[in-house]
Amino acid sequence: MLKATIDAEIFREAIDAISALVPECRLHTTDSGFSTRAVDTANVAMVSLELKKEAFESYKATKSQLGIDISKMKNIFNMAGKGDLISLELGDNAQKMQVSVHGYHYSITLLDTNTIRKDPNPPTINLPGKLTIAGEDLNNAIKAAAVISDKIAMGINAKDQTFFMIAEGDTDNIRREFSKDELKSLSANEARSLFSLDYLKDMGKVMSRAQEVEVFLGMDHPVRFSFDIANGNGHVEYLLAPRIEAD
Amino acid sequence: MLFIDFSRCCEKLEGISGRLEMIDIISRELPGLTDEELPIFVRFIMGRIFPDWSSQKLGIGPNLLYEAAGYVAGVKKENVITTINKTGDVGQAIEELLAEKSQTTFFHEQLDLVRVYRELTSIASQEGKKSQREKLLAVRRLLGNAHPLEGRYLARIMLEELRIGVGEGSVREAIAKAFSLDSGLVEHAMQALNDLGEVARRAKAGADALKDVHITPFHPVRMMLAQQGTIADMIADHGAVAAEFKYDGSRFQFHKKGNWARMYSRRLEDVTGALPDVIQQLLASTEHDVIIDGEVIAVKDGRPMPFQSVLRRFRRKHDVAEAQESIQLVPNVFDILYLDGATLIDLPFDERRRRLVSAVRFYIAPQVVSDNKETIEMTYREALDAGHEGIMLKVLSSPYTPGMRGKNWIKIKPAVDTLDLAVIGAEWGEGKRAHLFGSFLLACQKDGKLLPLSRVATGFSDEQLTEVYDLLKDAILSTSKKEVAFEPSLVFEVGYSEIQTSPTYEAGFALRFPRFIRIRDDKGITDIETLDGIRERYRQQAKGGGETVQK
Repeated sequence: MLKATIDAEIFREAIDAISALVPECRLHTTDSGFSTRAVDTANVAMVSLELKKEAFESYKATKSQLGIDISKMKNIFNMAGKGDLISLELGDNAQKMQVSVHGYHYSITLLDTNTIRKDPNPPTINLPGKLTIAGEDLNNAIKAAAVISDKIAMGINAKDQTFFMIAEGDTDNIRREFSKDELKSLSANEARSLFSLDYLKDMGKVMSRAQEVEVFLGMDHPVRFSFDIANGNGHVEYLLAPRIEAD
Repeated sequence: MLFIDFSRCCEKLEGISGRLEMIDIISRELPGLTDEELPIFVRFIMGRIFPDWSSQKLGIGPNLLYEAAGYVAGVKKENVITTINKTGDVGQAIEELLAEKSQTTFFHEQLDLVRVYRELTSIASQEGKKSQREKLLAVRRLLGNAHPLEGRYLARIMLEELRIGVGEGSVREAIAKAFSLDSGLVEHAMQALNDLGEVARRAKAGADALKDVHITPFHPVRMMLAQQGTIADMIADHGAVAAEFKYDGSRFQFHKKGNWARMYSRRLEDVTGALPDVIQQLLASTEHDVIIDGEVIAVKDGRPMPFQSVLRRFRRKHDVAEAQESIQLVPNVFDILYLDGATLIDLPFDERRRRLVSAVRFYIAPQVVSDNKETIEMTYREALDAGHEGIMLKVLSSPYTPGMRGKNWIKIKPAVDTLDLAVIGAEWGEGKRAHLFGSFLLACQKDGKLLPLSRVATGFSDEQLTEVYDLLKDAILSTSKKEVAFEPSLVFEVGYSEIQTSPTYEAGFALRFPRFIRIRDDKGITDIETLDGIRERYRQQAKGGGETVQK
């Protein structure tokens, strides 16, 4: 059972965070809120998201799993205006979720959760480098790099106490260093890993809205991004596997 | 069976050319497979996914495959295409890309044969506007978990061309060897079941299960085919033979059970939707459950129309009602394979004919039975006068042998030297044809491999070149300079003046003055001319004149 209303903008933020990586997901509902965990089809990027009951205007749910087709949900946002509330309603064992917004009533067929990949277990990894940066700064650096290359190195220079992002194209390269002053925090342990910008671009868009993004880095290790959504009533973590530098 | 083990087996087979050794390798793999794995293995090893009777299509074009491979390997699609152009083979290119893959992953799931088959089945069942995206995701999922070597064969299976030189004949022999059975029995079971996978499963159960095979309605079997020959030889060898008109139309197999009917083309594609009028005509002519073999021809003012008019209808999926009025289609039924639950293919032809006549009221093709050369020759002239292609001579005692081009059916028609060949490549045209293909590389087949035989650049109208371009543009596998390689799918009928030996082409022969006659979209790649057939024509030509009757 599910019966909830939520601000359309907040719900869009949550759905966008998932859709950056996967087209469908298995949404867990409990009496304390929503959560989901998913991995992209190439097993390269993972998302885990939590949306607390406090993020909703009203919320009542029992423990259940819903198969959500993300693109269907996105269609619904197109009908929503600023300040609109979205109401979600699902009976026990129902196959269709009733979604209402701005006078429109949708009846959305849920995906069979058996056809969706099982929730991935996040790997246990130790990432010693840690910093906090404004989401917009992070996204801008990603966007700048994407113009030059399809991959980007991210790392921490312990000696200079900087967080750096370097992209090498065929002929050009770009470098952005953030000094300790530009960051909200920095645990300057040496780190450097290379990542595909294909994934980072989509994640960057989502992260640009976050005031603060915690970034965890290692040497040739995955990167973890951790940030709040829904005015602090929700939380997202992205994990991206590195590329191995050829040279 | 893990897919990596299957891939290793393919790799081993790819490295050898001896047929006996191949049969040996395959036969040693079969007994260890489960009932679920066995049919999948048998089909995969031939580069097939679904049973031959099934009209299910995977629907993955090279483009979608390249895109998925690029995503998984962490490179752009253009890099995938560059690698393919370098290696000249999609499988090897994807193997290379996966080996060099610099993108690490969080998980790795081991692929097994059954899982791969299930994924492919789910890909094939995707329909509608989101199907391309769903297919892309499924292909990424498969390639994302594939070892480089698995990637090589996954890619080739998805393009339904395994390129390891294993033909159906070798797999049949391997099945017989693996389960100590007579290979004739395996071949016979294949003719009725039209799925070597199912044949293998029965072979595992034993000779009795293999003997007890029946044709199933709506599982089309292959058409029995005819050889070239002469009236005199047929009469000399068999005495009285049956002569029927050879219709210049499209071959069909009509299945009916109760009120439910389907029609299949020569390539066993379901063409029911395109021919509602013919279906109605046949439904109205029998109350029995039947599978019948025939040819549908187009008629205008009582005269047969050219073959192209029928094909146009076979291909049609839209505006069927409109097309129905302009061309009148008439079925001609000449054989029956199944009647009210009984499989008839092992009965002699004259007995089948009796059952056909008693079960079906209309549209039965006229037949003359005679041991007199003049009578048969008269029938031949009548056929030509009435605008038909020639005649068929059939041995009265012969069984119906699906898929076999045996000596029991002989076609007599005016000598035209044409060959049906696969289009495997092209060169871009020049001048006003610069955006179209100009010259085409054609191939014949030997043991499941395609061997380049000749190029054809003449005989096309501008309209035909445009049509050919539209049919081939999504089948491009790779390009280098002006050359394009295709995923083989299209068959051309090509005329020529002479067959010559040639060091230029892999087949060892080349065509003199090749010219394009028409697209044979009623024929598939497995129907094209064999190298043996070409060698035979070359021999006949050296003897001075073919065996065909001159008009």
